[in-house]
Amino acid sequence: MVIHPVLLIAIPLITAFIIPIFKKYGAAIAGGAIAFNMGYAIGIFFHVYSNGKIYETIAGFNPPIGIFLAIDSLSALLALIINLFAFINFVAIGKEANYKFSMLYLLAIAGSTGIVITGDIFNMFVFFEITAVASYALIAGKKDKKALEGAIKYMVLGSIASSFILIGIALIYSQLKTLNIYDIAARIASMDAKIKWASFAMLLTGIGVEAEIFPLNGWVPSAYQGASEGVASLLSFAPSKAAIYAIARLMLVIFPFHATYEIALWVGVITLLIGELAAFMQEDVKRMLAYSSIGQMGMILIAFSLASQDLKYALIASLFLIVSHAASKSSLFLLSKSEKMHGMASKYAGIVSVLSLIGMPPLAGFWGKWYLMLAAMDEKLWLVIILIFFAGIVETAYFARYLHRSIGNDGELSLRYKATMAAMASFAILFGLLPLVYKIASLPLWGG
Amino acid sequence: MRKYAGIAVALLFFAFSISIFIQLIPYDSYEGSAYHYKNPINGSVANESVPSHYIKETRNETGAVNAVTAIVVEYRGFDTLGEVTVLFTAATGVSFLLYQLHKKMQRREANLITKEGSKIVLPFALLTGAYIFIHGHLTPGGGFPGGSVIASGFLLMLLAYPKFFVNEKRLSYIESISGSIFVIIGLLGLLLATSFLQNFIPVGKPGHLFSAGIIPLIYIAIGFKVGSELSSIVQKLKEVEE
Repeated sequence: MVIHPVLLIAIPLITAFIIPIFKKYGAAIAGGAIAFNMGYAIGIFFHVYSNGKIYETIAGFNPPIGIFLAIDSLSALLALIINLFAFINFVAIGKEANYKFSMLYLLAIAGSTGIVITGDIFNMFVFFEITAVASYALIAGKKDKKALEGAIKYMVLGSIASSFILIGIALIYSQLKTLNIYDIAARIASMDAKIKWASFAMLLTGIGVEAEIFPLNGWVPSAYQGASEGVASLLSFAPSKAAIYAIARLMLVIFPFHATYEIALWVGVITLLIGELAAFMQEDVKRMLAYSSIGQMGMILIAFSLASQDLKYALIASLFLIVSHAASKSSLFLLSKSEKMHGMASKYAGIVSVLSLIGMPPLAGFWGKWYLMLAAMDEKLWLVIILIFFAGIVETAYFARYLHRSIGNDGELSLRYKATMAAMASFAILFGLLPLVYKIASLPLWGG
Repeated sequence: MRKYAGIAVALLFFAFSISIFIQLIPYDSYEGSAYHYKNPINGSVANESVPSHYIKETRNETGAVNAVTAIVVEYRGFDTLGEVTVLFTAATGVSFLLYQLHKKMQRREANLITKEGSKIVLPFALLTGAYIFIHGHLTPGGGFPGGSVIASGFLLMLLAYPKFFVNEKRLSYIESISGSIFVIIGLLGLLLATSFLQNFIPVGKPGHLFSAGIIPLIYIAIGFKVGSELSSIVQKLKEVEE
């Protein structure tokens, strides 16, 4: 194979390692590495788009003996989103970044990319650690009281979550003697039932903390509120997306059972309702956006749990929801730096993002909700449909209030900053109009 | 009220964990067809389990006599690169967040025995650390414990002499270069062999110092990296305390 997905991890790591030698140009070198990653992720995406799933072995051993990277349409799309938005976001905030911030930013991106492209569950845990440790430091980087509060809450919950993930993996290994996700999936039936469910519970709890799922998301509002705008934007497209991908792998590949589907479905519905209702009651813009993110993650979890039942629209719905959420939320978090949207670019970014989130055609968010409804109708889940509608109304209400309050003309954002926001929001339109997602959702997945 | 609820939840969790772990099969049983692994790329089922493959084939495939090292550095070397990065991230985070307080406070001098003793112990600590990571593929140990032993030598000096310091710039250069060497060895594997972190030099005779291919090289890089990282964390914490 000519394509080496391992470079998506190796290049940011070596760059982060050498930055301390070239302190002065740290941000520029980091920007170069992120640009390389973006280009490579785009290349891999289109390779997978036209040729289907690919893999790469590490250290030359066959998969269950060594580690391998397994890339299918789902992971290629997520790697693309993470690296693309990482670059656009870094254009906005790179100017004021010092070299240590750039290193941590690179490590967070490398970790999130690693989570989505690896085919080994312990390797995934290692990348969770990298992402989480980098995120704690980035959140606390603002060095005021609120930032420290958010970082400490995240750190305590995140460390407990890591040990849960590790115990879950150890339980699986004790029974099957393997760490490869697809080898586990092939032999999951031979596991002792009780240990199987215990390991599922441990993994869902551990990854759920990172994926902002109720009731494990106590850290989310404080962390997003305390972090600087660029970091809040990073948190909304990299670690949370990578974690929801990990949950999707759990649901779709390792534990594709009816009971796990029902648990995840109702956890998702509760997360959606609580997130949206809490967002409605917030006064602070960043807290409102953070609670709204929780609601959106709940909706993505509903979509993935339906997808585990082989409903054809559910996977399309989840991909659209991920794209829409990444594009809109990262743009809105950047926008929260100024109290009012001013100038054409920031008004465009704000309005497009809000419209995509509340589900206006033909933006990506609309297609997400549309196909989610279709999938739920196939399964005749009328209560779920009513609750999603209700959450949508609440969402529209608070976003209308947000637009009413924040359209104005005073502010002091630089042109570059505004242009990056507009670029991010444009992806909600672009993915809504292009047929990329339909094709990518129809390709075969690893372990499928 | 909250306290009792917390205790109740913790006890429930404890009982749940005990009930699972009591059922776990013993660690040494890895034979039997239930453990035969399946290659996810071509779907072929092997006639052995993953641990038994490691035990039987390590010596032939990697040339290392220490199977644990072979698993850590060769079979799962990518995880080790990740773990090194976790430590690096933590060290960067510490130095990103801690800022120096410019208060000149004299600490009390340590007593004579600590002062003279640490002078004698330091070279031996450095030598032992280096021995542990250079012989990682032959004897128990490796880059992480070796680096920690080196850092403990510097910690002893920091405790004994209030004015002792390690050159910050040099530490960070060592850290950067040794980390890069790890990734470069990986990339050379991609270039000269077929995949990242693959062995590309002859494995030599198992049991000799110059054997096991890239394992000793990677462990030397890790040893330097861990040693300099932990020393710099210790030094940073000391500066803030003053």
